[in-house]
Amino acid sequence: MSDDKILFNSGSLEEFSDEMWKMSESEESKLKLGPDNADSGLAKLVLTLVELIRKLVEKQAMRRVDGGSLSDDEIERLGETLMKLEMKMEELKKHFNLTDRDLNISLGPLGDLM
Amino acid sequence: MKLLIYALLLIKNSLEETNEILAGCDTSDKNLQIIAIDKIGAIVGNFEGDLIADKAKAIEFAKEIEVLSNQFTLLPVRFGSLMVSTEAILDLLNKNSKEIQNNLLHVENRYEFGLKVMCDSSALKSSLVENSGLVVNSSHAKNLENPNSVYRNWLEDKLKEHRLEELVLNYVDTVIKEITEAIEILGATAKFKKMVSEKTIIDAVFLLAKDQKNEMVDTIIQFQKKYINLMFILTGPWPPYNFVELTLK
Amino acid sequence: MHDNVIDRSKDITLLEMLDRVLTKGVILTGDIVISVADIDLVYLGVKLMLSSVETMEQIKSGKIIKE
Repeated sequence: MSDDKILFNSGSLEEFSDEMWKMSESEESKLKLGPDNADSGLAKLVLTLVELIRKLVEKQAMRRVDGGSLSDDEIERLGETLMKLEMKMEELKKHFNLTDRDLNISLGPLGDLM
Repeated sequence: MKLLIYALLLIKNSLEETNEILAGCDTSDKNLQIIAIDKIGAIVGNFEGDLIADKAKAIEFAKEIEVLSNQFTLLPVRFGSLMVSTEAILDLLNKNSKEIQNNLLHVENRYEFGLKVMCDSSALKSSLVENSGLVVNSSHAKNLENPNSVYRNWLEDKLKEHRLEELVLNYVDTVIKEITEAIEILGATAKFKKMVSEKTIIDAVFLLAKDQKNEMVDTIIQFQKKYINLMFILTGPWPPYNFVELTLK
Repeated sequence: MHDNVIDRSKDITLLEMLDRVLTKGVILTGDIVISVADIDLVYLGVKLMLSSVETMEQIKSGKIIKE
């Protein structure tokens, strides 16, 4: 009965199917805090916000660089700072055993945070 | 015994008549019935024991909503909405009657269609770069003093990534704009999600009169012809799950 | 091969259907759940809702859906 729900496809159902399985599996991303994982739970919460802000800053920086209004020296320093931020973030993620996916919270109807 | 809510609807004729139609299309063993206040009703089924969380139950529930949506214009309720008593449901309807009514009028005689657009991400990116003539290395040349600065090179790489992202995003926006224009002609409303994953660049839902189904399919076929590197899949008609803007108080 | 294709298409429609019935439609409870010490904190509707938050979360997480 459900076959006729597909009104049109370009003949690549395998790919669609795999993709949809992946999407349905990645749905779970809620914050779980408990006595045993208070550390990593809190780390996850904090790092999620830090990562969000870091990404925003990086994005904004790229816009500025692209706009061409920055001097060579400024670009140099910006590069150094952003690169160090990214490395530090990687370190922290490793320390708390978190992946990029962990640092993304599903906001329900609002979609994902990042 | 508890009551599981399937959907909300407007009672257009008498409650008895509506209940008769309901009994006629009830394929479940849940003894579906309507609990109503004035013109607003909830289709509920009997429910014993605990709600068991399994795929089969959820699909059974969804299929029942499908059947019902062929008979009535309704607002599908999310799986698992179990209520203690008839009174609790009446209270719920009473408190939310205005919002329910507005939502129902919005989806009256319309159905939901889903569209997913996928691509081979790296192929799309390289073809976009080719067509745009994007120069990703221009500022390297400016850096005469210190050509091997690791920071600058890192930033250059980031910049490349950033420009590529913008390029893809612009492209996706163009496709979305074209789809929006095309389906507006059909009188449909649309909701789009961009870049749901690496592969799925658009995840859209449309609200459309059911008799416009073939036109919808034709429209998507045209898009597939135009964008041979993208893959389109259209599903439906579905009950208007994505066009309910209502959280019951 | 042909059988395989038919199965796949069923997959897609069932997944689409599940996605809709589990995450969309009329909502009876708060949707963002933060759990502290395994106690899920939900916004509202707790008194009216008998279905356990746990159960809903299980369904949503796809653990059971995968079977």
